Amino acid sequence: MRQARIATFAAGAAVVALTVAGCTPSDTVEDDGPVTLKLTIDQDMETLFPGDSGIADNIAILDVVYDGLVRYDPETKEPYNYVAESIESDDNTVWTIKIKPDLTFQNGEPVDAAAFARSWNYTAGHPELYSNYFFERFKGYEEMQDEIDDEGEVVKESPVEELSGLTVADDLTLEVELNAPFAGFATMLGYTGFYPVAQECLDDVEACAVKPIGNGPFQITEWDQGVSVDAERWADYTLDETPEDIDAINWREYAGASSWSDFEAGDLDVSYPPPADLAAAQEDPELSERLAEAPGAALTYIGFPLYEDGPWQDKEFRKAISMAIDRETIVDQLSGGLATPADSWVVPDGVPGGEAGTCEWCVFDPEAAKAALEKAGGWPDGETLTIGLSNDETEIEYFKAIGDSIEANLGIPYELKPNPDFSSVRSEQGFDGIFRNNWFPDYPLNENYLAFYAVGEEGAGNFGWYDKEFEDKLAEGDQAATLDEAVVKYQEAEAILAEEFPTIPFRFNAGAEYYSERLDDVVLDPFSGAVRVRALTVTE
Amino acid sequence: MGRYVLRRVAQAVGMLFLVMFVLHLLTTLAIQLNGNPALAFFGDKIPSPAQVAAVEQRFGLDDPCYDQPGNPCLGPFVERLGQYAQGDLGTNLRGREVTDIVASAAPNTLRLFVMVTITWLVLGMVLGSVAARWRGSPSDHGIRLTSVLIDALPVFVLLLVYKEVVTVPLSGWAKETFGEDSWPPYWFKPSFDPEHPWATVAVPGILLGLAGSAAFIRLVRASQLDSYGGDHVRTARSKGLNEGRVVVHHVVRNSSIPVVTAVGLTFAEALSGAVITEGIMNIYGMGGVLWDAVQSSDVGLVLGIVTILTAVTVLVMIVVDIAYAALDPRIRYE
Repeated sequence: MRQARIATFAAGAAVVALTVAGCTPSDTVEDDGPVTLKLTIDQDMETLFPGDSGIADNIAILDVVYDGLVRYDPETKEPYNYVAESIESDDNTVWTIKIKPDLTFQNGEPVDAAAFARSWNYTAGHPELYSNYFFERFKGYEEMQDEIDDEGEVVKESPVEELSGLTVADDLTLEVELNAPFAGFATMLGYTGFYPVAQECLDDVEACAVKPIGNGPFQITEWDQGVSVDAERWADYTLDETPEDIDAINWREYAGASSWSDFEAGDLDVSYPPPADLAAAQEDPELSERLAEAPGAALTYIGFPLYEDGPWQDKEFRKAISMAIDRETIVDQLSGGLATPADSWVVPDGVPGGEAGTCEWCVFDPEAAKAALEKAGGWPDGETLTIGLSNDETEIEYFKAIGDSIEANLGIPYELKPNPDFSSVRSEQGFDGIFRNNWFPDYPLNENYLAFYAVGEEGAGNFGWYDKEFEDKLAEGDQAATLDEAVVKYQEAEAILAEEFPTIPFRFNAGAEYYSERLDDVVLDPFSGAVRVRALTVTE
Repeated sequence: MGRYVLRRVAQAVGMLFLVMFVLHLLTTLAIQLNGNPALAFFGDKIPSPAQVAAVEQRFGLDDPCYDQPGNPCLGPFVERLGQYAQGDLGTNLRGREVTDIVASAAPNTLRLFVMVTITWLVLGMVLGSVAARWRGSPSDHGIRLTSVLIDALPVFVLLLVYKEVVTVPLSGWAKETFGEDSWPPYWFKPSFDPEHPWATVAVPGILLGLAGSAAFIRLVRASQLDSYGGDHVRTARSKGLNEGRVVVHHVVRNSSIPVVTAVGLTFAEALSGAVITEGIMNIYGMGGVLWDAVQSSDVGLVLGIVTILTAVTVLVMIVVDIAYAALDPRIRYE
């Protein structure tokens, strides 16, 4: 009878499977029930701790879970006070931040000066957190860091746990002293890393990284890591920026997979098709009406190994490479509407100080490119130009097109070198040819696109490029009396970059999303490219 | 029997240790040659030495041996073994417990395997038996042709076509026909839904099973044909047993051994199918997690998961061995 038992087991398992399969459907979006907004998380997301959130997805989630001191105007991209009553300084070094009264966290703790101070001290004291580097500008940051020897080993742990430049003056007043003047300080304060945290959160950071305790209009109810995040409206929210029609939000994790079929099947509110489905989407007249677009802020650019000898040491050579690349055609063919060719280092119209056309040699001009290459002494015979990049398929397509463009117009043979550990190779100055770079800004100010070129010494950094004049200009900007004046100084720094030409701008990402019939007032954040949930209206 | 199982378990522990050590060496070498994943954490930013040190410590890569190509990093390996011995599988690079990851990923993969195995058994046993029973008949030819066709269609093509072409209209039709709250719309959802795991994993599981069933059908057919020609079947028939009893007791049962072996062996193979299925259908499962872990040089996670998978595979093998004895009275373990 044994085989009979096996057969019974198999049949039984099938019955169980189908019964379990069938018995669960329940809470979909009903017409009159609570409205759940259904969004996506496109990358691998590891944390929801404010001080450690640095990818577009957790930034977008925390944007509705937390309220920052400032928020950004979608039109002008300028910061305006939100949780802050005022942010003032006479000298751009000592800043006084006043906080609105009677605000609380979702667990009832007060959102006061202490809530910000504990958050900032914690992040500043933990160099392993993503936002740690923001606090380098604060007085007392250095004293908080452990002492490290040349081998990278910790020799002495720092006993200091608080930034000396951060003082809680009274319940609602915070005083900040910076190492040096920085006119863009208030702009920086809207970034995820500057959100306040509750004491309960710091008491168990691990739990808080999965289920944050916010002060914004939505509270996280559950994050099933790798699968989905659920949030519901926080009933006691008192400030005004909250979407009235939305009761809950569900974010599904896709980790690089396409969510388009789910959108088409009506299971998602927002999505964008993969290249294969793009043409069909664009030709659908009904769908085309539900497309939101915005200039994106992320810049992809090409770096040279200026830490190594080679033809790239000559600026004419770098100009030749730049002018040999047909950005217009490449981006048009490959981007699927999600990028624009770049001719500046700071996104034009995307952030204060961003202007198109600062890169004189970013135009496609094969003749001028050839002339520049000749002036630089040509490309060594028999050598191949290597192009370093990550394993990302889209990027490989782009850089293959760039390589083809260079080869066709300058006769330089090239070889793509995709590498999964591309970023580590880059920071260890391991490339011996041109390589891909990408910059996603942290806050809307042109300074943020430029500051990482300031490496402080000859030969350091990803590119091995150092220019004292450039760093002085940035410092002048930091010390300017007003933000407007600072922006101008930063623009002058960009002009030095344009003149010295250590890197080549290639393309800016552009935001684009299709949305479901029930959504209205869909605006993309010019900065993160994500849908601005707080501005949405839903019609059922 | 008891001693046999004990011996197998001892062998399994040795094998597990070997697998872990080789994997440890490979991932360590990958880190030494490709560069430290800790640096990748910073993207375009230029971290200070203190920041790098802190992230290395957080990732568990602060031992200097990771900077010395060729160093086998025995220290961290022994430390890890010690942890494993205490039942602590450690964390991934970002501090999430491996057991937590497995607890949330494994059930989905198991669901997939259950559907795959059922599909295999049902298709393999039914079609294979029919083809063997009526050898040379049109249905035999039809079944063999079908199995060739199945073989010719790679699983990812099958799944992509299903997802991109079939699911959207089908789930729309099912919603209209059966209503939003009924089962059918969930069966045909374009991707996995954690709220309804069984319903949304069923069809992808059947498709994955279908893709692997061709070899199975042929195996069942071949081994049953063998039995049909066997002496014991001739004897059974000559005893005057009715044909049904001959088929069930003497053909199907005796030809089940290679089938059970195949189920055990293909279990490991099904994991590679799971990587594809999980990727396409967005199922959070072991295949996808392992895939990502290897890509991001996540030593702790790779080792933790492979250790669990090896343990499970070895366990399945032992169960298969024991099943032999149950199926074939001639087999005894000492």
